Amino acid sequence: MKIHWLALQLPHLALDLQTRNGAVPRSLPLAIGDGDARRPRLLDVNPAAERLGICPGMSSSAAQGLAGSLRVIDRDPRREVAALERLAAWSYQYSSAVSIDAAHHGLLLESGGSERLLGDSEALAQQLTAELQPLGYHARAGTGPTPEAARLAARRGLNFADLDALQQALEMLPLDALTFTAEQRDGLERMGFRHVREVLRLPRKALARRLGTDAVDYLDRLLGVRPDPQCHWRPPESFHSGMDLPAEVASSQALLFPLRRLLVELCGVLRGCDRGVQSLTFHFTLRRGTETLTLGLQQPTRDEAHLLQLLKERLEQLRLPQPARHVALEAGAFMGFDATATGLFVDPGDPDSNPLDPLLERLRARLGNQAVTGLKGVEDHRPEYSWSERRLEEPAECRSMPHRPVWLFPRPKRCRIENYRVLAGPERIESGWWDGDDCRRDYFVVRDRTGSTLWAYREYKPRPGWYLHGLFG
Amino acid sequence: MSTSLPASLQHPMLWQGRRRHDRMPTLATGHERLDRLLPGGGWPLGALTELLVEHDGVGELSLVLPTLARISREGGWAVLVDPPWTPYPPAIHGHGMDLGRLLVVRTPDATASLWACEQALRGVRGGVVLSWLRGRRHEAGFAHLRRLQLAARSGRKGAFLFRPASAAAQATPAALRLHLEAREADLAVTVLKCRGTHRGQQLRLKHRVFPEPRPERTARPVRAASSERRQDEGALHAPATHSTKPLRS
Repeated sequence: MKIHWLALQLPHLALDLQTRNGAVPRSLPLAIGDGDARRPRLLDVNPAAERLGICPGMSSSAAQGLAGSLRVIDRDPRREVAALERLAAWSYQYSSAVSIDAAHHGLLLESGGSERLLGDSEALAQQLTAELQPLGYHARAGTGPTPEAARLAARRGLNFADLDALQQALEMLPLDALTFTAEQRDGLERMGFRHVREVLRLPRKALARRLGTDAVDYLDRLLGVRPDPQCHWRPPESFHSGMDLPAEVASSQALLFPLRRLLVELCGVLRGCDRGVQSLTFHFTLRRGTETLTLGLQQPTRDEAHLLQLLKERLEQLRLPQPARHVALEAGAFMGFDATATGLFVDPGDPDSNPLDPLLERLRARLGNQAVTGLKGVEDHRPEYSWSERRLEEPAECRSMPHRPVWLFPRPKRCRIENYRVLAGPERIESGWWDGDDCRRDYFVVRDRTGSTLWAYREYKPRPGWYLHGLFG
Repeated sequence: MSTSLPASLQHPMLWQGRRRHDRMPTLATGHERLDRLLPGGGWPLGALTELLVEHDGVGELSLVLPTLARISREGGWAVLVDPPWTPYPPAIHGHGMDLGRLLVVRTPDATASLWACEQALRGVRGGVVLSWLRGRRHEAGFAHLRRLQLAARSGRKGAFLFRPASAAAQATPAALRLHLEAREADLAVTVLKCRGTHRGQQLRLKHRVFPEPRPERTARPVRAASSERRQDEGALHAPATHSTKPLRS
């Protein structure tokens, strides 16, 4: 197996986190501040701000002077790390060795091992950047034979197939392609170096003396002379992600768009660690208070379209008492996912493939769990006790009584027997002394004036009188 | 002209009304005379069937039960959306229905009822859906019914819609619309609309909903209530075997 690295970098991560929810219109100038209390400076600006002449590195006050409408938001390192964690989980579907590269606002993937499955690393790099785009992240990717080479490739938009290609490319690159510190770079420039190749030709010892061992170490790692072990990220067994809404959202239907993103992210994570979820919880932070929505599934899944369909049904039902400000998705227990359950060649005639499941889920998502039931018989002679609702997992056992009415009234109705013509009967039912609902009745088949055939009984105890109990419909 | 008439009738460009509907997929109704009346020999499959009843309980469920029973035994699902009362399991099982293939859906309002019906029609391949549109069901508009009709077509299902007879004045997209009325011991079936045949045909089906109860033991006089009571007390340990006493007056 050839070891190859893919570096994925998000240079605008802080900005992306602010804009990916669509909160800020593109035309509004926005900048990320470094959060410095005394001399705040801008770290990153959006294109709208750039057009107004604002650029990274400017002090906040100078930028505000250029454009009064500029909004400066301070970066939140914790949120960035959390975002990288989620992206690491997402990219776990493409590589088994993912590392978080916080210093470079990005990730590092070992892509050589996935080449047979996913194709060339270079194509994968393109695919990853393209897939991050709809998630609201501006990423750049590059590949190389060593982690440092991959990072360099990502920065400059290159791809190095192997060490020879790397050597060749380094011949042409200017000095600032390397990640030296500003001090080291100044030193080299003062010595008259302009290109990478000139630095590489220097004897290592002399270089170490002048720039420090860090620089030499870096070059060795870049060229693959010295090993560069990476700390691999392990997938979590749960998922939590949230998103601030652009504006307060009062209609639950309008929540679908932000929630869809969260779902896509979740499904990526699930594919990454080959798991599925059976229950999801959405948390809505409202103007006052919170609201939750739980989605339960018939079997574990990681199919976005399926989840989205269910969510749509539930959102139609959801009435938010107040407008929502923040949405979050939480998926607690990841479960084993049986990929054969969504097999390609499921035979519709196969009794084992239960095509009812998607329908059940949709009905239950909207109407609630109790709304969909089966029926079964219970061993009891009193008609009202001789049946019950059945959860669909339970067996449907039942006695066969074809002479009974097909409809049973939920509650017997008192009647005047003079209005009915008796067709058959009586049938005595006397039972229930052991559970306190003792009764003695004689059942008759009767017909009313409109022609409907009913099942009536005369009760002797506990409430003497005539009642209608069913309908031969 | 050298070709004969029967041969030229085979021409693919020639449209033959009767023949077209003979090939329409159907579900046997289980009532021989009704099968003969309906084009294709049964309930239309993949199209809506409307059953307009004069009064609830004239025998509408018994009319479709043979079909339901057969489908359920073949492994198809029968979905009941908002039945007016509880389908009594021992009775429908007694008519041959496999209860393991029966699903009852209850909805809170008319909109949800239509929705659930449509979902059920689209949801599972094969099977039957029976719907009693909830709420003011005579008001289900043409557009709603049209949706259900399309859903039934896409799901290739038998779709039965039970509505009051007053709905007969409304136009319908259904392939079949029957009017059901009790006439003494019979069920009078009138065709109000049917693709592939003309309306107005009538049929009386024997109402076989209540065969005489089969006595499980020898008949006893009704008056013997007090002596039975004593017997019950004596049979404390086996109440179930003595609790039902079929009687004949």
